[in-house]
Amino acid sequence: MKFSPWWTDWRRLALLIALFALSACAHVEPWERGRLAQSRMALVEDPLLSAMNDHVYTAKEAASGGAGPAGGGCGCN
Amino acid sequence: MQRRTMLLMLICLAAPFAVRAADAPSFTLPELATGRMLSLESFRGQVVYVDFWASWCGPCRKSLPLYEEMRQQLEAKAFTIVAINLDEKRADAEQFLARHPVGYTVLLDPAGESAAAWQIKAMPSSFLLDTESRIVRSWAGFTTDHLEEIRNEILALVD
Repeated sequence: MKFSPWWTDWRRLALLIALFALSACAHVEPWERGRLAQSRMALVEDPLLSAMNDHVYTAKEAASGGAGPAGGGCGCN
Repeated sequence: MQRRTMLLMLICLAAPFAVRAADAPSFTLPELATGRMLSLESFRGQVVYVDFWASWCGPCRKSLPLYEEMRQQLEAKAFTIVAINLDEKRADAEQFLARHPVGYTVLLDPAGESAAAWQIKAMPSSFLLDTESRIVRSWAGFTTDHLEEIRNEILALVD
Protein backbone atom coordinates (compact mmCIF):
# COMPACT_ATOMS: atom_id res chain seq x y z
CA MET A 1 0.00 0.00 0.00
CA LYS A 2 1.32 3.40 -0.97
CA PHE A 3 1.74 5.91 1.82
CA SER A 4 0.22 9.33 1.17
CA PRO A 5 0.47 12.27 3.57
CA TRP A 6 -2.83 13.53 5.04
CA TRP A 7 -2.66 16.92 3.33
CA THR A 8 -2.94 15.29 -0.08
CA ASP A 9 -6.38 13.95 0.87
CA TRP A 10 -8.72 16.74 -0.31
CA ARG A 11 -11.53 15.67 2.07
CA ARG A 12 -9.31 16.04 5.12
CA LEU A 13 -8.01 19.31 3.78
CA ALA A 14 -11.56 20.57 3.21
CA LEU A 15 -12.47 19.53 6.78
CA LEU A 16 -9.49 21.42 8.14
CA ILE A 17 -10.44 24.57 6.21
CA ALA A 18 -14.06 24.21 7.40
CA LEU A 19 -12.85 23.94 11.01
CA PHE A 20 -10.85 27.15 10.60
CA ALA A 21 -13.90 28.85 9.09
CA LEU A 22 -15.94 27.89 12.18
CA SER A 23 -13.74 30.07 14.34
CA ALA A 24 -15.73 32.85 16.01
CA CYS A 25 -12.85 35.32 15.95
CA ALA A 26 -13.69 38.69 14.45
CA HIS A 27 -12.08 42.08 14.45
CA VAL A 28 -14.16 44.54 16.45
CA GLU A 29 -13.57 48.16 15.52
CA PRO A 30 -13.09 50.68 18.38
CA TRP A 31 -16.50 52.30 17.73
CA GLU A 32 -18.25 48.89 17.80
CA ARG A 33 -17.29 48.11 21.40
CA GLY A 34 -20.43 49.44 23.06
CA ARG A 35 -21.53 45.99 24.15
CA LEU A 36 -18.05 45.09 25.40
CA ALA A 37 -18.11 48.23 27.54
CA GLN A 38 -21.21 47.10 29.42
CA SER A 39 -20.62 46.24 33.07
CA ARG A 40 -21.84 42.65 32.56
CA MET A 41 -18.95 42.14 30.10
CA ALA A 42 -16.34 43.13 32.67
CA LEU A 43 -13.97 40.37 33.74
CA VAL A 44 -13.99 41.80 37.24
CA GLU A 45 -17.33 42.83 38.73
CA ASP A 46 -15.97 45.44 41.11
CA PRO A 47 -12.59 46.84 39.98
CA LEU A 48 -11.99 48.69 43.26
CA LEU A 49 -12.69 45.65 45.42
CA SER A 50 -10.56 43.51 43.12
CA ALA A 51 -7.64 45.98 43.35
CA MET A 52 -7.90 45.94 47.15
CA ASN A 53 -8.00 42.14 47.23
CA ASP A 54 -4.94 42.03 44.98
CA HIS A 55 -3.17 44.46 47.28
CA VAL A 56 -3.89 42.34 50.35
CA TYR A 57 -2.93 39.15 48.51
CA THR A 58 0.41 40.52 47.30
CA ALA A 59 1.19 41.92 50.76
CA LYS A 60 0.44 38.57 52.46
CA GLU A 61 2.24 36.48 49.86
CA ALA A 62 5.12 38.93 49.42
CA ALA A 63 4.62 38.64 45.68
CA SER A 64 3.29 41.02 43.13
CA GLY A 65 2.23 40.85 39.50
CA GLY A 66 0.21 38.30 37.62
CA ALA A 67 -3.10 40.00 38.22
CA GLY A 68 -4.85 41.23 35.10
CA PRO A 69 -6.10 44.76 34.65
CA ALA A 70 -9.63 45.47 35.81
CA GLY A 71 -12.35 46.78 33.55
CA GLY A 72 -14.23 45.84 30.44
CA GLY A 73 -13.14 45.34 26.89
CA CYS A 74 -14.08 48.64 25.27
CA GLY A 75 -10.41 49.56 24.91
CA CYS A 76 -11.13 53.18 25.79
CA ASN A 77 -7.76 54.86 26.12
CA MET B 1 27.43 55.25 1.74
CA GLN B 2 27.16 54.85 5.51
CA ARG B 3 26.05 58.47 5.84
CA ARG B 4 23.34 57.92 3.25
CA THR B 5 22.08 54.82 5.09
CA MET B 6 22.01 56.76 8.36
CA LEU B 7 20.04 59.57 6.71
CA LEU B 8 17.55 57.10 5.28
CA MET B 9 17.12 55.47 8.68
CA LEU B 10 16.54 58.86 10.33
CA ILE B 11 13.90 59.75 7.75
CA CYS B 12 12.16 56.41 8.33
CA LEU B 13 12.21 56.93 12.11
CA ALA B 14 10.97 60.51 11.89
CA ALA B 15 8.22 59.81 9.36
CA PRO B 16 5.50 58.77 11.86
CA PHE B 17 6.07 61.95 13.88
CA ALA B 18 6.07 64.32 10.94
CA VAL B 19 3.20 66.82 10.99
CA ARG B 20 1.26 66.21 7.82
CA ALA B 21 -1.76 68.15 6.70
CA ALA B 22 -4.01 65.65 4.94
CA ASP B 23 -7.47 66.37 3.54
CA ALA B 24 -10.11 65.22 6.00
CA PRO B 25 -12.51 62.56 4.66
CA SER B 26 -15.88 64.09 3.93
CA PHE B 27 -19.13 63.16 5.69
CA THR B 28 -22.79 64.07 5.54
CA LEU B 29 -24.63 63.20 8.74
CA PRO B 30 -27.85 64.21 10.52
CA GLU B 31 -27.64 66.65 13.38
CA LEU B 32 -29.01 65.27 16.65
CA ALA B 33 -30.86 68.42 17.66
CA THR B 34 -32.53 69.34 14.35
CA GLY B 35 -32.26 66.29 12.10
CA ARG B 36 -30.87 68.38 9.22
CA MET B 37 -28.03 66.90 7.20
CA LEU B 38 -24.67 68.56 7.70
CA SER B 39 -21.49 67.89 5.77
CA LEU B 40 -17.90 68.75 6.52
CA GLU B 41 -18.09 71.36 3.74
CA SER B 42 -20.61 73.28 5.88
CA PHE B 43 -17.78 74.14 8.26
CA ARG B 44 -15.22 75.23 5.66
CA GLY B 45 -13.61 78.55 6.59
CA GLN B 46 -13.56 77.70 10.29
CA VAL B 47 -11.07 75.86 12.43
CA VAL B 48 -12.94 72.65 13.31
CA TYR B 49 -12.32 70.24 16.13
CA VAL B 50 -13.95 66.91 15.22
CA ASP B 51 -14.58 64.58 18.14
CA PHE B 52 -15.74 60.98 17.73
CA TRP B 53 -17.48 59.77 20.87
CA ALA B 54 -20.05 57.33 22.27
CA SER B 55 -22.14 57.22 25.45
CA TRP B 56 -20.46 53.98 26.58
CA CYS B 57 -16.96 55.43 26.30
CA GLY B 58 -15.62 56.18 29.80
CA PRO B 59 -13.21 59.04 28.93
CA CYS B 60 -16.01 60.78 26.96
CA ARG B 61 -17.73 61.55 30.27
CA LYS B 62 -14.73 63.70 31.06
CA SER B 63 -13.94 65.06 27.60
CA LEU B 64 -17.36 66.36 26.52
CA PRO B 65 -17.90 68.76 29.47
CA LEU B 66 -14.29 69.98 29.07
CA TYR B 67 -14.78 70.58 25.34
CA GLU B 68 -17.95 72.52 26.15
CA GLU B 69 -15.95 74.68 28.55
CA MET B 70 -13.33 75.23 25.83
CA ARG B 71 -16.03 76.14 23.28
CA GLN B 72 -17.43 78.79 25.62
CA GLN B 73 -13.95 80.23 26.19
CA LEU B 74 -13.19 80.39 22.45
CA GLU B 75 -16.66 81.44 21.33
CA ALA B 76 -15.46 84.71 19.79
CA LYS B 77 -12.96 82.92 17.53
CA ALA B 78 -13.56 81.36 14.11
CA PHE B 79 -13.65 77.95 15.70
CA THR B 80 -16.24 75.24 16.10
CA ILE B 81 -16.54 71.79 17.62
CA VAL B 82 -18.30 69.00 15.74
CA ALA B 83 -18.98 65.89 17.77
CA ILE B 84 -19.84 62.70 15.90
CA ASN B 85 -21.75 60.24 18.04
CA LEU B 86 -21.20 56.57 17.23
CA ASP B 87 -23.86 55.00 19.47
CA GLU B 88 -26.03 52.36 17.84
CA LYS B 89 -29.10 53.82 19.56
CA ARG B 90 -29.93 57.51 19.36
CA ALA B 91 -31.57 57.31 22.82
CA ASP B 92 -28.20 56.46 24.40
CA ALA B 93 -26.67 59.65 23.00
CA GLU B 94 -29.66 61.72 24.12
CA GLN B 95 -29.52 60.25 27.62
CA PHE B 96 -25.79 61.01 27.85
CA LEU B 97 -26.26 64.59 26.62
CA ALA B 98 -29.07 65.16 29.12
CA ARG B 99 -26.49 64.50 31.83
CA HIS B 100 -23.61 66.28 30.05
CA PRO B 101 -25.20 69.03 27.93
CA VAL B 102 -23.11 70.64 25.20
CA GLY B 103 -23.71 73.71 23.06
CA TYR B 104 -21.84 72.51 19.99
CA THR B 105 -22.98 70.51 16.96
CA VAL B 106 -23.61 66.81 17.58
CA LEU B 107 -24.00 64.58 14.53
CA LEU B 108 -25.23 60.99 14.52
CA ASP B 109 -23.47 58.11 12.79
CA PRO B 110 -24.90 54.83 14.19
CA ALA B 111 -23.35 52.81 11.34
CA GLY B 112 -19.88 54.19 12.08
CA GLU B 113 -19.16 54.91 8.42
CA SER B 114 -17.42 58.18 9.19
CA ALA B 115 -15.34 56.47 11.90
CA ALA B 116 -14.18 53.91 9.35
CA ALA B 117 -13.39 56.62 6.80
CA TRP B 118 -11.40 58.59 9.37
CA GLN B 119 -9.64 55.38 10.50
CA ILE B 120 -10.43 55.75 14.18
CA LYS B 121 -7.98 53.79 16.34
CA ALA B 122 -9.44 54.44 19.80
CA MET B 123 -12.48 55.87 21.54
CA PRO B 124 -12.66 58.81 21.81
CA SER B 125 -10.63 60.13 18.88
CA SER B 126 -10.37 63.72 17.79
CA PHE B 127 -9.00 65.71 14.88
CA LEU B 128 -8.13 69.35 14.45
CA LEU B 129 -8.87 70.75 11.00
CA ASP B 130 -7.71 74.04 9.57
CA THR B 131 -9.93 76.44 7.60
CA GLU B 132 -9.35 74.36 4.44
CA SER B 133 -10.57 71.17 6.18
CA ARG B 134 -7.11 69.65 6.31
CA ILE B 135 -6.17 67.51 9.31
CA VAL B 136 -3.54 69.38 11.27
CA ARG B 137 -3.37 67.07 14.26
CA SER B 138 -5.16 64.09 15.74
CA TRP B 139 -5.52 62.56 19.19
CA ALA B 140 -6.40 58.94 19.99
CA GLY B 141 -8.05 58.60 23.39
CA PHE B 142 -8.39 61.42 25.90
CA THR B 143 -6.58 62.54 29.02
CA THR B 144 -6.77 65.96 30.66
CA ASP B 145 -3.18 66.56 29.48
CA HIS B 146 -4.51 66.61 25.90
CA LEU B 147 -6.70 69.61 26.63
CA GLU B 148 -3.86 72.13 26.92
CA GLU B 149 -2.31 70.79 23.72
CA ILE B 150 -5.64 71.02 21.91
CA ARG B 151 -6.26 74.57 23.12
CA ASN B 152 -2.76 75.70 22.08
CA GLU B 153 -3.11 74.12 18.64
CA ILE B 154 -6.50 75.77 18.14
CA LEU B 155 -5.19 79.18 19.24
CA ALA B 156 -2.22 78.84 16.88
CA LEU B 157 -4.66 78.29 14.00
CA VAL B 158 -7.27 80.93 14.80
CA ASP B 159 -4.94 83.79 15.83
